[in-house]
Amino acid sequence: MSVWGTGILNGMRISFRNLLRGPITVKYPHEKVELPERSRWAVEIVRDEDGSHRCTACLACERACPDYIIRIDVTTGEDRSKHIDRWGYQIGACMMCGLCVEACPFDAIRMGHDYELARFRPEELDVALLTDTPAAGPKRKAADTPADRPERTPVQEAAQAAPESEQDAPREPEHD
Amino acid sequence: MDPRHLVEHAGWLTDTPPTDVGFVPASLRRAPMGVDALDTERLIVNMGPQHPSTHGVLRVLLELDGEEVVAAESVIGYLHRGIEKLAEHRRYNAVGTLMDRGDYVSGIHNELAFALAAEAIMEIEVPRRAQWLRVLMAELNRIASHLVWYGTFGLDTGAMGQFLYAVRDREALLDILEDVTGQRMMFNYVRPGGVVADITPTAVEKIHAFLSTIDTHLDEHDQLLGGNEIFQGRVRGVGTIDLETAIAFGLTGANLRASGLGFDVRKDRPYAAYDEMDFAVPMSSDGDCLARYLVRMGEMREAVRIVRQCIEGLPEGEFMAKVPKVLRPPVGEAYAAVESPRGELGVHLVSDGSDTPYRMRYRPPALYALQAAEAILPGTLLADAVVILGSVDVVLGEIDR
Ligand code: SF4
Ligand code: SF4
Repeated sequence: MSVWGTGILNGMRISFRNLLRGPITVKYPHEKVELPERSRWAVEIVRDEDGSHRCTACLACERACPDYIIRIDVTTGEDRSKHIDRWGYQIGACMMCGLCVEACPFDAIRMGHDYELARFRPEELDVALLTDTPAAGPKRKAADTPADRPERTPVQEAAQAAPESEQDAPREPEHD
Repeated sequence: MDPRHLVEHAGWLTDTPPTDVGFVPASLRRAPMGVDALDTERLIVNMGPQHPSTHGVLRVLLELDGEEVVAAESVIGYLHRGIEKLAEHRRYNAVGTLMDRGDYVSGIHNELAFALAAEAIMEIEVPRRAQWLRVLMAELNRIASHLVWYGTFGLDTGAMGQFLYAVRDREALLDILEDVTGQRMMFNYVRPGGVVADITPTAVEKIHAFLSTIDTHLDEHDQLLGGNEIFQGRVRGVGTIDLETAIAFGLTGANLRASGLGFDVRKDRPYAAYDEMDFAVPMSSDGDCLARYLVRMGEMREAVRIVRQCIEGLPEGEFMAKVPKVLRPPVGEAYAAVESPRGELGVHLVSDGSDTPYRMRYRPPALYALQAAEAILPGTLLADAVVILGSVDVVLGEIDR
């Protein structure tokens, strides 16, 4: 072993060297780092240029969510058209896993980049992403959505290819 | 370890009704609290549940004779979330979200173990690119995990600054992982059949940037902590686990390799693309805390080597096999193990043909490490107890699951 104390001196040398370089942190919230494209934060509704949504109220996302926190209230009219009363999403219980987005066959939702999710009151954690709006017609399949939609993963491709019967009947949430 | 409190209320386990004696945890019953001929009384010290060195919420009951530990008993379960039971109510592609939260420092390995088990039942052929991506992500995650261990181990031994150096490097790794998987720790990336998404060009750039600095940074780490004489004096010869004890307790991973047995799941039962990788398995036969430190530091360098090979030789192709949206494995069972940063992480999966597992058993390597540490604690000094618990690298999320 070397002379006792050289290790300590070495450590000080490294500390001193690091003293001379610039900071590697940023002063949040004054500065923010840019999130990578794929970052998964709160779920949001995808809007087309004209502000319309693409949700057909097929409830695939509701079934896919492992936390059972999406709740879509739908009324079906006499002509079998669907009307979304409330697209409920409990932001506080969401773990941002992205399974609902993968399950959506119409790319109607995406994982947003809003990570400042603190709220002042607990009620604000239960958000309605859509209220009182007619569901998009099933003709708006992903095939004729604008070209700027995100690239599909094979999971989603498989979801599209799968016939309706492959998907399960709505599961009763086991926890109640 | 007394697991009874997991199923019964601790107060019910005492012979006398709790009202007479106050709240007496069951495990204290065994400790003698006696007075010997010299009138010396033994002291019971509760280390934890929120002690900085317990790396999570672990409570260790230490019976002290002066500065010396006479008996040690760990009380676990503070972080119990019932992952194994919850998995019985999750579809196969959603179990990864639970596995991430087991050993939260190395999520990719946890997901991978589950995916391998599910693939073994379903006999899915995973594309080669997916296998390589799995290895790449797993090794990046291994470095990140070892860096956390390295940082906190320094804190346990009394060093402070090097923790920040470790976090600096881990930050770069988490940026890469976030770029590819979408999140920094709860990846949900490895699924039965492959991986969810391909690597991004920005991530490749970040990996190259990381690889260009990591070697000097690892040298820096070696000098900051490993080269420090105070640290060496603090860990050399402390907490020796001999090979026999290590095997008897079922230790795996770096803890076992530091005790002199070169068992590594990546080499002995290769999974994913590890059979195509060229890497060495660092070993030592001293079995003390310094040996465990050196083995882990060596593993980081090997992991960097594997990352280099992955990024250079990443094969083209699909990153996900064609699998149905709702996975329904046939009736059967399978055990799959991966070499997580803490050791052999196994998943035993039983399928009854439905879309959720019938039973999932999760083998957390840190549980066995904790029991071995508990066994070697008697006879050591109180200050060393902290170092020993730190050196075996326990993560309580995994132990309590
Ligand atoms: S991100 Fe995950 S937890 Fe959140 S709503 Fe979607 S499926 Fe549910
Ligand atoms: S279209 Fe998408 S967002 Fe709307 S209910 Fe179906 S899966 Fe959910």
